[in-house]
Amino acid sequence: MEIDIIIKATHLSKFFGKGISEVHAVNDVSLNIKRGEMVLVMGPSGSGKTTLLSMLGALLGATSGEVSIDGLDISTMNNKELAALRATRIGFVFQSFNLLEALTVEENILFPAQLNTGGIQAAKTRLDNLLDRLGLATRRNALPNTLSGGEKQRVAIGRALINQPDIILADEPTGNLDSHKGQEVMMILHDIARDDNCAVVMVTHDPRVEEIADRVLWLEDGSLRDRKSEKHSWVKDPVCGMRVDEWTATITTEYNKQRYVFCSKRCLERFNSNSEKYKKSEK
Amino acid sequence: MLYWSLKTLFSEPVRLIVSALAVSVSFLLVVFFSAVFEGESDKMVIYLEKMQADVWVMQKGVSNMHMASSMLWDWKADKIAKLPFVKEVSSILYFNGPVKIGGKDWFSYIIGIKPQYQRAGPWKIAKGKRIPGVGEVVIPEVISQLSGVQIGDEITLVDRPLRVIGLSRDTFSMASSVVFVSHEDLGELVKGRDQYSYIMVYANPGISSQDLIKHIKNEVDKVNALSSEDFINSDRTLAMQMGAEIISMMTIIGTLLATLIVAFTAYSLINHKQQELAVAKALGFSDGKIYIASLFQSVVITAIGLVLSIVLAYTILSWLPTVIPQVNLVVRPHQFISIASIALPIAVFASFAAVRTVIKVDPMTVFKG
Repeated sequence: MEIDIIIKATHLSKFFGKGISEVHAVNDVSLNIKRGEMVLVMGPSGSGKTTLLSMLGALLGATSGEVSIDGLDISTMNNKELAALRATRIGFVFQSFNLLEALTVEENILFPAQLNTGGIQAAKTRLDNLLDRLGLATRRNALPNTLSGGEKQRVAIGRALINQPDIILADEPTGNLDSHKGQEVMMILHDIARDDNCAVVMVTHDPRVEEIADRVLWLEDGSLRDRKSEKHSWVKDPVCGMRVDEWTATITTEYNKQRYVFCSKRCLERFNSNSEKYKKSEK
Repeated sequence: MLYWSLKTLFSEPVRLIVSALAVSVSFLLVVFFSAVFEGESDKMVIYLEKMQADVWVMQKGVSNMHMASSMLWDWKADKIAKLPFVKEVSSILYFNGPVKIGGKDWFSYIIGIKPQYQRAGPWKIAKGKRIPGVGEVVIPEVISQLSGVQIGDEITLVDRPLRVIGLSRDTFSMASSVVFVSHEDLGELVKGRDQYSYIMVYANPGISSQDLIKHIKNEVDKVNALSSEDFINSDRTLAMQMGAEIISMMTIIGTLLATLIVAFTAYSLINHKQQELAVAKALGFSDGKIYIASLFQSVVITAIGLVLSIVLAYTILSWLPTVIPQVNLVVRPHQFISIASIALPIAVFASFAAVRTVIKVDPMTVFKG
């Protein structure tokens, strides 16, 4: 059983600042994540989700505690070793896609391959497979500024997968997508965990993902807690009608002294462009 | 990573062109001053070149015309003319100093010629007569254009008024133009009516300059004789030495300017792409690899700047003298070789500006939405 554990965090803490301004972003977190497991890290804004993800992804050192990737204690590694670890064992997917603007879809996906054994040449076959799998075969020569949000995120997933990592760390991967595109991306990440035996750790506010996740970790004030069911407060996105947890939602607005909650920025933009219409339809 | 840096550079062509142009302008600055000195040096020896003598004879201890003075008794010219192997001689009295033309002093090589030595006169005439008589002068056409002095007007050589009778071409230089007067007028001024400064010797066919020099030195006392090639080189070297400090200074200024421009460009490019660098770091690229990408961008910008400076130099600097006739510019490949040799150190040095930014880039910024 232990052999399946790819990420192991033990008493992991991260503090910022000193003295009275000290902030405990992550406080004594211990967790195990297995290969093929899709784990969600949820919690209110500022609860330390991204800090935890950064430490699990060897991007940020811990104040105390340990993180092991496939049995290797990363706290003993130097910057060069950590960079090599990220390049070969971990794939990242970000909320804002973070594609390299000058490179095409194909070049973006292949970008990290130069750090892997065999380099770009060896990754060419994997690239073709990924382009097919992600539905990007016809867009391989397109530049990021010509892609839709969903396509951009699929390219980012392709880039995360090109070196066949053991772990995918995704930070709000659906945050900038509408509900349909968000659903599509979720399913891709779910399939990656299932088919590639890859651990997928996802920070999200999107409660719909819970349905496809294997496990949900609830982070509050930097510590893992049991989430109480009453903390759910389901409301409808006034634009697309999707179910949104009002308690965890970050995309909100106020109109006519009433609070509205949205599943995505796009729905918020639509609401702002014609608030009266959506206000009425809500009723 | 190098491919990314190249594509990033070319994805913003305006930024690239502006940067490369700025670099090329600083290189051009170096080339411009070097071209001015080359051009001026060429003009300073043009009289020596145009005379096409085989051997120049001058006072012992003298080996230049530029900034030099030489006095030889006129009988020495007659003696040399009668030597075997000598086909012809042509002698001049020479003085370098200011000539007042149109109220302004023009530093000039003043050549005093006798009517029998027509060969020593101007080689190209734009207007008027070629050989000045007593009280007459032939001045460069460019000085006439700049000063407004025309044929028939008077100029002053020291205290002697002379009437302009001809305008010569190819004789102007900012540092020293060539002005022709009669031997008599110049002789009176320098108290040397029975003297020459330089004797140009033309050898019979088949006689080498070296043999002729040996022969002249054996037969004529207290003279120095140099082949035309050595004499010209000696004057050109002297002229370039006089400008060497200025050229060095301009090279340093141009190099510093180019370094600053490339450094600023490399720095602003890196700054502009901080988010992408953060992504690269997060994905596992080391600081070293990212720095090399930045260095590569500096090298590319510098190389494009260098190529542009060559193109601009050959177009603008070749065209400039047609608009500003007083400027003598000569662009030669060796000027670019010296710039090319400093281009790589410039790129390397300039890329240091980006090092701090590269190290400072926090991969955690990839999480900012």
